[in-house]
Amino acid sequence: MVAMVDSPADVRPDGAEAPVLLAVQNVSLAFGGVKAISDISFDIREGEIRAIIGPNGAGKTSMLNVINGFYHPQEGTITFQGKVRRRMRPYEAARSGIARTFQNVALFRGMTTLDNIMSGRTLMMRKNFFWQALRLGPALNEEIEHRRRVEEIIDFLEIEHIRKTPVGKLPYGLQKRVELGRALAMEPRLLLLDEPMAGMNLEEKEDMSRFILDVNQQFGTTIALIEHDMGVVMDISDRVVVLDYGKKIGDGPPDVVRANQDVIDAYLGVPHE
Amino acid sequence: MFYREAGQYKTSYAADMAVFPIRQDRIGIAVILAVAFVGIPLFASDFLLTSIMIPFLIFALATIGLNILTGYCGQLSLGTGAFMGVGAYACYKLTSYFPDTNILVWIVASGFFSAAVGVVFGLPSLRIKGFYLAVATLAAQFFLEWAFIRIPWLYNANASGAIEVASRTGFGITLTGPAAGALPRYFAVLAIVVVMTWIASNLLRGRIGRSFMMIRDMDIAAELIGVRPLHTKLLAFAVSSFYCGVAGAMMVFFWLGAAEPSAFSINLSFQILFMVILGGLGSLIGCFMGAAFIWILPVVIRMVPEVLGLSVEAATVEHVNFVIVGALIIAILIVEPHGLARMWQILKQKLRVWPFPY
Ligand SMILES: Nc1ncnc2c1ncn2[C@@H]1O[C@H](COP(=O)(O)OP(=O)(O)OP(=O)(O)O)[C@@H](O)[C@H]1O
Ligand SMILES: [Mg+2]
Repeated sequence: MVAMVDSPADVRPDGAEAPVLLAVQNVSLAFGGVKAISDISFDIREGEIRAIIGPNGAGKTSMLNVINGFYHPQEGTITFQGKVRRRMRPYEAARSGIARTFQNVALFRGMTTLDNIMSGRTLMMRKNFFWQALRLGPALNEEIEHRRRVEEIIDFLEIEHIRKTPVGKLPYGLQKRVELGRALAMEPRLLLLDEPMAGMNLEEKEDMSRFILDVNQQFGTTIALIEHDMGVVMDISDRVVVLDYGKKIGDGPPDVVRANQDVIDAYLGVPHE
Repeated sequence: MFYREAGQYKTSYAADMAVFPIRQDRIGIAVILAVAFVGIPLFASDFLLTSIMIPFLIFALATIGLNILTGYCGQLSLGTGAFMGVGAYACYKLTSYFPDTNILVWIVASGFFSAAVGVVFGLPSLRIKGFYLAVATLAAQFFLEWAFIRIPWLYNANASGAIEVASRTGFGITLTGPAAGALPRYFAVLAIVVVMTWIASNLLRGRIGRSFMMIRDMDIAAELIGVRPLHTKLLAFAVSSFYCGVAGAMMVFFWLGAAEPSAFSINLSFQILFMVILGGLGSLIGCFMGAAFIWILPVVIRMVPEVLGLSVEAATVEHVNFVIVGALIIAILIVEPHGLARMWQILKQKLRVWPFPY
């Protein structure tokens, strides 16, 4: 029993024992006059599924953009794996193990499903230009080795049949799945999912929820999830942070957050003073 | 019916990743190579070699160069002609200083010079995209053309202002200059084009090609996966210009024999761009199709009056030529905006399911 505590999946549901993987401290972000995020702090613990919720325009996507270096906050710091930073480039975030999916699918439309997911392996492929040019020996072996890993992801997400299809031709639900596959191919420490179930029907949502839970439990990947469907959030997340107009109005386990009066007001649209 | 992969199972990822996973395609490419290396040399006239095959192959290589940049990496360039010029002038200077070195060495080495120039003029691509980048590369085109005219050192201060190719050898055979036969020149061009096409196909199918396409399709997502945009774009400029530079050097040394700066004008850039677009952006086979269409078709049309015994003025033939080729280009692009390569793919698909519609 004791040995199992190490496995991140087993620290749930309250996650109290797990160390902090990412800490957001007093972050503020403004676009000209628009304050997208004001003075927000929260943390994400290793191995948990952390939901970020809030009404439209609350600053959820902006928060993810800050975490993976796409926006640079005017104030505050981000601590990831013990390293404190103010600003960094997105590719540095990728290097340190942060992957994400986008609210509006951002796949490489001209490439096949397979190539899209292979692209997630880019940072792990090391063979230099000259080996690549010859595509013999080491370069070919590397390509095959990563192909094998990618095929595992394709099996896991049950998208074998669209392996060679250009993603531009896929229906929306499958595109979202391929995008998850691409993020998984990076083998991230922290996976940021921006509304992975938006625009899906019930069945697709159930599939996607299952994939997210499996990723979390089988690979021990820490997940930050933006989602509007409260049912899903309550079911799969360990802790929830609630944003409204760029401010944090709630933080805690799902049932606690659901009972919070501020949160109820925000969702029911009680006018702000 | 004739083109089916039924029964050809792939049992390894290596087999699935091959350039031509289908047996019929492998046979096809073997036949093409046999014709190119054996058939054509055995039967072709000097005219066919010098006026059709050699320029066709050289243009195909330049088209691959531009396609890597524009079709695969999504960076529009109008400087192709100038980058080809850099290759030609670099080769000219190198072989002037070292006349005894195998000319093939300098042909390939000149690619590095145009790669370096390409990287410099690719720097704006970090900030600007699309048409604005095209305008920046246009500046490269005009600046380099100016340099070819104004810097006498580049053409060894020849009175004519042109570079004239002297007699040079490779492996003991005279390959350039008036004394060089058509056959050795053809073999030199063919060998270089085949090897460089193979290398391009290797690069484009692996990590590097994928990172080019990632930048082309969605640069923001590419960056979040760990692709550095500037790095990748400059690499595309370098590889692309390398190909164009080698093509430019071959154009002067194995085909024209001499060239004035106007040989590398914006017209050449456009000609290569047409070949890329007509053949198909992002397709290597398309490069050969586009080059064949735009180079070989006019030559064939030019021969028609002669064959039919008509006496038409050369100028008239040229005009008719422009009209026919122009109209065909428009027609093809209306039918299939993705170019000849896509048409070929669709045709193959039709053959595969024939006699059923799908
Ligand atoms: N690049 C930008 N430039 C200007 N304003 C921006 C930018 N990105 C976001 N904003 C603004 O910041 C605020 C928060 O936007 P954000 O996209 O983070 O909201 P969200 O919580 O993700 O909303 P939704 O649920 O609609 O996705 C909005 O008012 C938005 O207009
Ligand atoms: Mg959003």
